[in-house]
Amino acid sequence: MIELESLDRKEAIRYLGGSGIKLNYRMDALMDECEKEILLKADPKYLYIEKELPCNGLIKGKDIEKHLYGCEKAVLMCATLGTEIDKIIRINQISDMARAVVLDSFASVAAEQLCNRVNEAIVEKYSDYYTTFRFSPGYGDYPIEMQNYFLQTLDAPRKIGLTSNSNYLLVPTKSVTAVIGLSKSPIERKRLGCAGCIARESCQFRRNGEHCGV
Amino acid sequence: MEFKDFINKKEFILLDGAMGTMIQKSGVKYDSVPEALNITHPKLIASFHKAYVDAGADVIYSNTFGANAYKLKDSGYSVKQVISAAINNAKNAVKGTDALIALDIGPIGQLLEPAGALSFDEAYEYYKEQIIAGKDADIIVFETMTDLYELKAAVLAAKENCSKPIITTMTFERSGRTFTGASAASAAVTLEGLGADALGVNCSLGPDELEPIVSEISKYTDLPIVIKPNAGLPDPNSNEYNILPDDFAKSVLTLLKYGVKIVGGCCGTTPEYIAKIKETLSGEKYHPQKKSVDTTICSASTAVEINGPRIIGERINPTGKKLFKQALVDKNIDYILTQALNQISGGAEILDVNVGHPEIDEKNMMVSVIKAIQSVCDAPLQIDSTKPEVLEAGLRYYNGKPIVNSVNGEEKSLRAVLPLVKKYGASVVGLTLDENGIPKTAEGRFKIAKRIVERAEAAGIDRKDVYIDCLTLTVSAEQDACRETLSALHRVKTELGCKTCLGVSNISFGLPNRELVNRTFLTMALEEGLDLPIINPNIASMTGAVRAYRVLAGIDKNSNEFISVYNNAAPQTAAADTLADMDIFTAIYNGLKKEGACLTEKLLNENADPMKIVNEMLIPALDKVGDGFEKNKIFLPQLIQSANAAQECFEVIKKHISQTSGSPVSKGKIILATVKGDIHDIGKNIVKVLLDNYGYTVVDLGRDVDPQLIVDTAVEQNIKMIGLSALMTTTLKSMEDTIKMVRERKELQNPDGSSKCVVFVGGAVLTKEYAMKIGADYYCKDAKESVDTAKKVLG
Repeated sequence: MIELESLDRKEAIRYLGGSGIKLNYRMDALMDECEKEILLKADPKYLYIEKELPCNGLIKGKDIEKHLYGCEKAVLMCATLGTEIDKIIRINQISDMARAVVLDSFASVAAEQLCNRVNEAIVEKYSDYYTTFRFSPGYGDYPIEMQNYFLQTLDAPRKIGLTSNSNYLLVPTKSVTAVIGLSKSPIERKRLGCAGCIARESCQFRRNGEHCGV
Repeated sequence: MEFKDFINKKEFILLDGAMGTMIQKSGVKYDSVPEALNITHPKLIASFHKAYVDAGADVIYSNTFGANAYKLKDSGYSVKQVISAAINNAKNAVKGTDALIALDIGPIGQLLEPAGALSFDEAYEYYKEQIIAGKDADIIVFETMTDLYELKAAVLAAKENCSKPIITTMTFERSGRTFTGASAASAAVTLEGLGADALGVNCSLGPDELEPIVSEISKYTDLPIVIKPNAGLPDPNSNEYNILPDDFAKSVLTLLKYGVKIVGGCCGTTPEYIAKIKETLSGEKYHPQKKSVDTTICSASTAVEINGPRIIGERINPTGKKLFKQALVDKNIDYILTQALNQISGGAEILDVNVGHPEIDEKNMMVSVIKAIQSVCDAPLQIDSTKPEVLEAGLRYYNGKPIVNSVNGEEKSLRAVLPLVKKYGASVVGLTLDENGIPKTAEGRFKIAKRIVERAEAAGIDRKDVYIDCLTLTVSAEQDACRETLSALHRVKTELGCKTCLGVSNISFGLPNRELVNRTFLTMALEEGLDLPIINPNIASMTGAVRAYRVLAGIDKNSNEFISVYNNAAPQTAAADTLADMDIFTAIYNGLKKEGACLTEKLLNENADPMKIVNEMLIPALDKVGDGFEKNKIFLPQLIQSANAAQECFEVIKKHISQTSGSPVSKGKIILATVKGDIHDIGKNIVKVLLDNYGYTVVDLGRDVDPQLIVDTAVEQNIKMIGLSALMTTTLKSMEDTIKMVRERKELQNPDGSSKCVVFVGGAVLTKEYAMKIGADYYCKDAKESVDTAKKVLG
């Protein structure tokens, strides 16, 4: 089980496009309140499973092939904050939109932190391997349709209530699926970078000279 | 043998163990779904069934858990093919025995609205297809369900398409809730109401961890309880389960005291487990349980026991409310949701929902409003309409056990309403009036109450689910009527053993200081035994009277609730001195709602021109904030807070204008929608807040919106501007399709064929180039740009 104790506030502000803005006391108070609420309502759950490579059905497109190049194994993972988070964001969109966007931002941060923790656990478990970074459906040319492959392989709907809709969007929405490659020999730990990203033309981070972190 | 005979004749009914575990152990490979094995390996599947029958199972589950059209879509087989083959395999296995075949049905695999995008009706159709395909089974089983709403669709599909007995089991976590937040109590109350024949739990946990959940369920149902636990918890490394058959069977024994009658095993269990349970149960007795909590209504997450006065909020009702009526006409669901949330924060425990208005389609509106409210509120609902078809629509789409408001003593009403209450397992308010009107005397009303209760019981409805309303008449017109109402209420409570309900506010029509009269009457009625006062929970003294009564009557133990509500209550009004040196501009810039509203009111009282306030104060303040946002000096949440503060000022102005019956302030209507297939709508909602505040009327069609609805609404309401959002690359196609449809619709074209509608689009993955390519008129990178675009187009 993973419990999140605190959330990265700077990151939440960055998601809201507020890097470099001095927050007034009301905004500070709002950030505090929302961080607490997300920590209280999040129900972090995750799964991972090890697969020998080559693994039937996992490879679709060039980017995932590149990502797993030289790896003997891959670990498929998924993580979710649960439905309650979606619900409080929904409620706040009616009662207090400002709060809703801050909650949404902290929830994204929480999902990311949860993934990092799962990632750490995987790295620790496979300490005799070199590991790649997390690669998710939707990165580069890896089709978003692969969500269903991950969910099925991990038995995620039954085990942690994580599903997708007919457009392959994850439900609950604050959820992630990803694959990490394992190799006995060193891997060049390269990030995907903007060049391989489908959102590069519209990316707010990129526009402001920043990077999303993927 | 029939299932009902089974239930009666057998002390316990033994189900089978896991199919998945057998398949896994055999090492057989399958292509897409394990259900395909019914066709490719019929003998193997039959041999698994046979092993369970030999181990002593009275009922075996067909290998059809995921045999729905959604999960089979890439398998190359149809639902009918898979299910017929599966039932056939099961038949071959039970030949020559008494064992019955259950058509096993699991979740569809997509989440339903509101969390997901699958609609209730779509879910119903998936289940219907399976039930019809499984016509040769003896029993229908729904298992491993985590969403009560999905399960309701499933049970209705079974009830409406076959007459087989129905077993339902849900999967709970240690918290006592399912993944979607359904509580064990709500599941028991709702499913018993819908007519399940047995209910319980399966999967997720082992028998030991299930005890608190089984105990909770047993408090809320008289039905036989089913358990089909996992063989303990899986080891995270090996995926092996940790309880062996002996211990499993022993743990089952400890659960018998909760009324467990039907026992089997889920993940990790094998014929050995079933044989062991059979051996262990021989000589044991079934302990039938009567529910200990017997007057309950619920939402999916919250069960409310009527064990003392419970407040029903009356505000979702257009009667006498101009703004509410307008909201209905405009399909402004958010307005209604705000009313719902405000009442909950005021202290309402149940919400009455009435959307009757001659200018709208009440039935469709009832469904939309119920779906919307249950997506944000945990309070159970009371479905309020004079039209049976509206009641039925509300009952069908409600997630939980609601109250129906109402039936009365008229033959026509009894005949139309009671069967609906029974079918959907609701409670019902019984009004003590009939063909001859409202009897003047308590005796007359009591007689009608008695008739309603008798008729309800004849229709199969427990009298505990009938809440009698002895009707409040206006005391200024008939002073003695108050006594008659209270006396009838007292008799109903004591002689009929029913719960009682009363709309309180009617009492004071025509009198000054109505609040005082209402509160006094409420207190009198509570003392006579009123259980469900229908009041405005946002009037603090009314809610307070109920809470104080609960203390004084010894219901609120140790005054816990009272203290928690009132101990730290902060004064809610804006302090006069903070207002003294503030203007509207400052209030909006700083996002101070209450202050903004007070200041606006003050100006209006000083006879300021409302449009001048809008144009010279509100809009410039918003512009200043918007400008700061553009220059990266103001944080998005602050921009929204300012917009909300402006919204409060606008509300005050709107109210003022509607009272002085001027024309409403609107700069034009704009449709907003998140396109079909997309469920990420926060960006669209931010745009909405801003447009609202610049005085545009937003027709918000929500998320995952059908292009047809967008086009139809534009035509119907003659709308010239449409905003579409999409977050994912996969849903950009929907955006393109929607724009295409807008362009093609004749009514939305000028005589020369050009489009009358301006379409603006936005969303994370969109670019200006792409927006143009798919035929949009404008691309807006954020909410502020949407407002600029609206100004350009509509002025």
